[in-house]
Amino acid sequence: MSCSSTEDLPEQYKELFTQDGVLLKACIGRPISDLNSIGMLCIVQNPDSTKCIEWRPNDLITIDSDTQDQEWAVVNTIGRRQRTLSGNMTSDYAAARARIVKIPLDELKTFKVARNSQQMQFSTKPGIWQNTFYFQHGNAEVFVSQLKNHLKTAKTRHDRNTYVVVEPNTESQVLNRSFAELDIFTENTTDVVWGLVSNFKQRPYETTMEAFSKLTDIVYYGNEGLNGQRDVSDEVADLLTKSMSALEDSTSVTKTEGYEVISVKPTLPPRPCIPRGTPLSTEKWEGLQDTDGRILEVEGVKQLIFRGGVAHSIRHSVWKYLLDYYPWNATHADIRKIQKKKTEEYFSMKLQWRSITEKQESRFSEYRERKSLVEKDVNRTDRTHPFFAGDNNPNLMVLQDILMTYAMYNFDLGYVQGMSDILAPLLLLLGNEVDSFWCFAGFMEKILSNFDIDQAGMKQQLLNLQQLLTFAVPDLAKHLATKDSENMYFCFRWLLVWFKREFSFSDIMRLWEVLWTGLPCANFHLLICVAILDAEKDVLISGDYGFTEILKHVNDLSMCLDIDKILSTAEGIYHQLISAPHLSDQIRIILGIPTASNKNPEDPSDTDIPEQENGKPESREMEEVTLEYNGLQISVVTKTVWALLA
Amino acid sequence: MAKTYDYLFKLLLIGDSGVGKTSILFRFSEDAFNISFISTIGIDFKIRTIDLDGKKVKLQIWDTAGQERFRTITTAYYRGSMGIMLVYDVTNEKSFENIKNWIRNIEENASADVEKMILGNKCDLDSKRQVSKERGEQLAVEYQIKFIETSAKDSVNVENAFYTLARDIKAKMEKKQEASNPPGARGGTHQLKATDQQRKPTSWLSRCSIL
Ligand SMILES: Nc1nc2c(ncn2[C@@H]2O[C@H](COP(=O)(O)OP(=O)(O)OP(=O)(O)O)[C@@H](O)[C@H]2O)c(=O)[nH]1
Ligand SMILES: [Mg+2]
Repeated sequence: MSCSSTEDLPEQYKELFTQDGVLLKACIGRPISDLNSIGMLCIVQNPDSTKCIEWRPNDLITIDSDTQDQEWAVVNTIGRRQRTLSGNMTSDYAAARARIVKIPLDELKTFKVARNSQQMQFSTKPGIWQNTFYFQHGNAEVFVSQLKNHLKTAKTRHDRNTYVVVEPNTESQVLNRSFAELDIFTENTTDVVWGLVSNFKQRPYETTMEAFSKLTDIVYYGNEGLNGQRDVSDEVADLLTKSMSALEDSTSVTKTEGYEVISVKPTLPPRPCIPRGTPLSTEKWEGLQDTDGRILEVEGVKQLIFRGGVAHSIRHSVWKYLLDYYPWNATHADIRKIQKKKTEEYFSMKLQWRSITEKQESRFSEYRERKSLVEKDVNRTDRTHPFFAGDNNPNLMVLQDILMTYAMYNFDLGYVQGMSDILAPLLLLLGNEVDSFWCFAGFMEKILSNFDIDQAGMKQQLLNLQQLLTFAVPDLAKHLATKDSENMYFCFRWLLVWFKREFSFSDIMRLWEVLWTGLPCANFHLLICVAILDAEKDVLISGDYGFTEILKHVNDLSMCLDIDKILSTAEGIYHQLISAPHLSDQIRIILGIPTASNKNPEDPSDTDIPEQENGKPESREMEEVTLEYNGLQISVVTKTVWALLA
Repeated sequence: MAKTYDYLFKLLLIGDSGVGKTSILFRFSEDAFNISFISTIGIDFKIRTIDLDGKKVKLQIWDTAGQERFRTITTAYYRGSMGIMLVYDVTNEKSFENIKNWIRNIEENASADVEKMILGNKCDLDSKRQVSKERGEQLAVEYQIKFIETSAKDSVNVENAFYTLARDIKAKMEKKQEASNPPGARGGTHQLKATDQQRKPTSWLSRCSIL
C-alpha cells in the first residue's frame, strides 16, 4: 500500500464518527458521474464548532496503515486513527474535493431510514430529499444512533422511519439526554457497543457514567452468543468496572417522550451479486511466465482462477501448480528435474507393492484386504464415463495402480473410500500416471483430515458448517435444529469428496480449481455448502421438510446444481459475512481471518495469515491489489469488492 | 390427510463395503441391476410400498456406507430402525466373519427389539464362493436370526427377503399391540405416524402400543 504522508488535520477539525462503505446514490445538483461511488460518511466538527454530515468519495481517502479495522471504524479524535488526505493525489485533489457532500447539522430538517435500514436520506428543505446514501457494510442504524448524539429528533407519527430534527444540537442538550437510546444494547452487537464506548471516551467522564452503568450489562453478559471472545480494551474495561460500582442501582433508563428506542438487529449486509469471470486463457497464462518459465504474479494468477477458473486447454499445466506438484517459481529446467525425480520416486514406490508375490500376499491379509477394497471401488468409479467404461478398461488399471501406490506413499492412511472419486477427474484430465499420482497426492494433502480414522476432520467441518449456516442463514439453521438435522450429516458426501458426486466432470473441474486457490478465505468449500443450502432454504422451510425429507432432498440435488451460480452466491455470502458488524470470532476463525481482538488464531499453523508481533496482520493482507479484468476492477478478495457493484 | 399406506417400517442395510447392499436395494426398489454402481458415500434411502396380508406397508430402506471408518456417521441413522438386513458376500470370507462385528454394532446402536436377518449375497457367483450356505445357516442358528442367500444380479430371493423381514416386523408389532390393548378395546388404528417415526431412540414397539 502506498503510504501517504501523514500530515495531521487541523486541530479543531474533528471527525466524530465515520462510516465506511457508503454509496452515494442520489444527490441533487450533482452530475450522474458522481453517483454510485463509494465513500465514507462522517459526522464532523468544523473549526467553528458547527457540525455537519460529510460524505467523501473513497479516492480522496487513504487510510493510515494501522487502521486495520475495515468495518465500522470509529474515529477517536484523541487516538491515532485519523484519516488523512493523500499527499500524492494533488492533481486530482481539487476535483475530488468538489465531490464531497456536506450537510450542515443545523440545516438538517429530516432524515429517513429505508430499505431494510440500509438506505438513508437527508433533507434540509421540506419535501425534498437532497441526498440518498446506501450503506453497504451493515446498515444505517449505528449511524443514526450516532447522529442522535448531536441532534434532538422525533419520529413522525405516520412514518416510523422518518426522523424530524426538533432542535439543533448544543453540547448541553446532548449530554442531558436520558440515554434512552442505549436500549440498542439489548442486542448482541458488540461492535455497536465497542463503537459507542470509543465515542463516549471522548466525552467528560461524569456524563458517561450513567451510560456505562447500562453498558456493563451488555459487555459482561450480553454477548454469550459470541463466546465472549471479544475483548474490550483494558482501559475501557477499567472504566466500566468503576462506573458499575459507582452506579450499581441506577440501571433503569427512562424513556423520555420524543426519543424513540432504536434496536439494532444483527442483520447481515446485503449480498452482493458478484459476476463470475472468464477462465484463465492460454494467452494470459503464457503471458504470466517469464522467459525461463517461472510463473510471476502468483497471487494474481490465483485471483484470476478464483474468479473464472482455468481454460480447459491449459488445465493439465495449471493444475500441477495448483496442486503443488510444480513450484510456481520453477524454471523449465527445474521442472524437467522435478519430473525426472518424481517419476523415479513414483515407480520405486509402485515397485514396492508390485514385487509382493502371490505367496506373500496369501500370508499378508492386511495387504489383501486393502487391495480388494481398492479393486471394489475402482470397479465402481465413474464407469458411465467413456474414459472408464467397459470391461477390462486399461484406465481402471491405472486408477488401481495409483491408489495402491498411494497406499505405499501414505501407509498409515492406506485406502479410504472416496479416494477413487478424487482421483478419477485428475487421471481423466492428465492422462499420465505419474502426473496424476503427484497431483492426487497434492490434492489429498489439502483434504487429508477428511479421511481421519475417527472422522474427527469431517466432524469438525460439519460443525463449522453448522456454525456458518447459523450466522449466514439463521432461519434455515433453526429449521434444521427443529428437525434433528443440526449435525449436518446430510452434507457428509459433499464434504468428503469435495462435491464430486454432485456435479458433472466439467463442473467439478471448475469447482475444484477454484477451491484449490485457497481464496478468498479458509474453508471456502463450507461456504459452497451454505450457498447450496441457501438456495434450497425456501423449499426446506416452507415444505416443513423433516429429517428424512431433508436428507432425500439434499441427496437428490446431485447433478441438478448450477456451478457458476453457486460460486457466485458463495462469494457473495463471504462478503456478507466479513462485512457484518456482528461478525463473531468463531466465524473469523473458521474463515481464517484475524479475530477482532487481534489475538492469534487458535492454531496459527492452520491459517496462513502472517502475523506481526502486535498480532495485526501484515500489511500484505490489507493491500489494495486491484486487478483489471474484463474491464472490471477487482480488489483483492480478502477485501470487499464493492467496486464491482458501483 | 389420507395415507396411502397402513404401516411405515424403517429398515436398514448394513455389511462390509462391496457386499452388494446398494445392489440389493436397487433390485428391490427398481427391479434392476447395474454392474457399474458407485460406492455409497454417506447414507441414502429408498421407498417401496408392498402389500402384506391386505395391508399396505411402506418400507423406507436405508443404505449405508460399508467402510468401517464411516461408521461413526452411519450409526446415527440406526435409531428407530425396525428391521436390519445384515449382508455379507459369499465370495468374500472376511465379510462373513465381520457379520459378528456388525451384530455387535447393532446391539450398541439400535433398539433391542429390532428384527434382524442375515443375507449371503452374490450366490450367483458359485465358482468364486468362499462361504458355504451351511456356514451361513450355522451362524444364523447361533444368533437366532433368519438367513437367506440372495443374488441382486440374478434377482434371487431379494423380494423374498424383504417380505419376510416386513412380515416378521408386522407380526411382532401386532402381537405387542394385542398384548397392550385387550381385544375388545382395539380400534382400527394400526397406522403408524409417517413422520417422526425414525427419530426417537426408544423402542418402536413401545411407541406402537401408544398409538
Ligand atoms: N455377481 C454379483 N455381483 C454383485 C451382486 N450384488 C452386487 N454385486 C457387485 O458387487 C459390487 C458391490 O456392490 P454394491 O451394491 O455397490 O456394494 P455395497 O455393499 O453397497 O458397497 P458400499 O456402498 O461400498 O458399502 C458391485 O460391483 C456390484 O455390481 C450379486 O448379487 N452378484
Ligand atoms: Mg453401497
